Amino acid sequence: MKAIPFARIALPCALAFLTVAFVGDRALEAADHFDPPARTGSDTNTAGFDVAADIADIYAFHDASNVFLAISFGGPSATTLPGFYDPDVLYTINVSNAGTRTDIEFPIEIRFGRDGTSPGIEVRNLPGVGVIQGPVERNLITSNGIMVRAGLFDDPFFFDPQGLRESRATGNLSFNNMRNRFANLNSTFVIVAIPRGLIDQGQPLDVWSSSARIRG
Amino acid sequence: MTRTIPTLVLASTLALSFVLAGCNESSSPAPAAVVVPPIAGPAPTPAPTPPATAANFDVTPCLNQMVVPGRTVADLVVPDVLRLDLNQAAGFPNGRRYLDPVIDVTLAVIFLDLRRHPATTFAAIPVNPNGIDQPLPTTFPFLARPLGNPPTSGGSGTRFQFRSDPASAYTRVDRAGMPAVSTALISGNPNKNAYNDDNPGIDATGRWVPELAGTLTILTNALADDFTRLGLTICARPI
Repeated sequence: MKAIPFARIALPCALAFLTVAFVGDRALEAADHFDPPARTGSDTNTAGFDVAADIADIYAFHDASNVFLAISFGGPSATTLPGFYDPDVLYTINVSNAGTRTDIEFPIEIRFGRDGTSPGIEVRNLPGVGVIQGPVERNLITSNGIMVRAGLFDDPFFFDPQGLRESRATGNLSFNNMRNRFANLNSTFVIVAIPRGLIDQGQPLDVWSSSARIRG
Repeated sequence: MTRTIPTLVLASTLALSFVLAGCNESSSPAPAAVVVPPIAGPAPTPAPTPPATAANFDVTPCLNQMVVPGRTVADLVVPDVLRLDLNQAAGFPNGRRYLDPVIDVTLAVIFLDLRRHPATTFAAIPVNPNGIDQPLPTTFPFLARPLGNPPTSGGSGTRFQFRSDPASAYTRVDRAGMPAVSTALISGNPNKNAYNDDNPGIDATGRWVPELAGTLTILTNALADDFTRLGLTICARPI
């Protein structure tokens, strides 16, 4: 069989990405997990950091009927740990569906609370509805058909930051596309399904998220 | 023990003509109201990129190259938002689904000449692991149940107490939009914290463009020869 130049791309390519970590001293840790590390901790040390407020990923997709918005946070976490339902953290999924890309028509605010020891979720500023409250780990449905769920799930994200870190330290190739830092771990998610008619204004949606902790 | 990727698999995957979801749509997205400030530097040229032998590169062609019709790399990362066109197929960079290979695609579009290599070049290898622990369900919320036996609430409770403080009573910790922008292209503190304290409105003023371009330049200067040895053409131009 003739050698194909690209056939040996794996090793050098992996090395190239290791160099990403070397030269800039900016390991590509993940989509947004462990960032900013001074507040949320790093891939190797989260003790004493604000893990609950660490947004891991934001997702936005759609089908013929609904727009789905999701954020994950507090992860990846061990499979013995419960979900992060911190009452002192405000999560916001900001949605722009009209005007400029950066104005916010729907600052969807997410808070967690308690009924005794049972955690609950409150979501504000959903299209066409004021506030929805209810228990976590259960689908909540508004009168206009929006569905909300908070819960702990298997984190579907995949990446190998360990390979980057070890290679940076040793100078030897350690990158391994079979080693997924996020495998066999969970993260806490909030997922919102919004009927398209409630949010589609004929222009693309621009979505971003933030987390914030109560002062004092 | 370190394992490498079987070359046979690589050859096969690289031979595939994967098309990035949404990339083959013919219609352009609706015009964006925000104008990304022009990136300083010479305009991109249609001429092939010269061999990467120089130590310093101009990344302007990378930022200005088209990823999907009507959207350049600069458009994708400034402002730092995830854009979802409901008239296009879902899939990164048109929004983001749970299993989209966002890191590999992002790395490809910021380093490679997309006229010669598809945005899925790295994802097709893949450079990063690309797998899941268990299949995702096809119904809401489309996520697999947690692994292990973590404590659960049982969905109980009816009289919850929530904080009623306004958003202004909270202090920002984190923000997220396009995957990997903050983690890969914003350098350490004080920039990291400052970037996470900002918002897309500030992004649109161009405040972070020098930082994004500067970081990409540092990375490109170091990696260009590696890409060239791999037979890959980078988007940056030697200076």
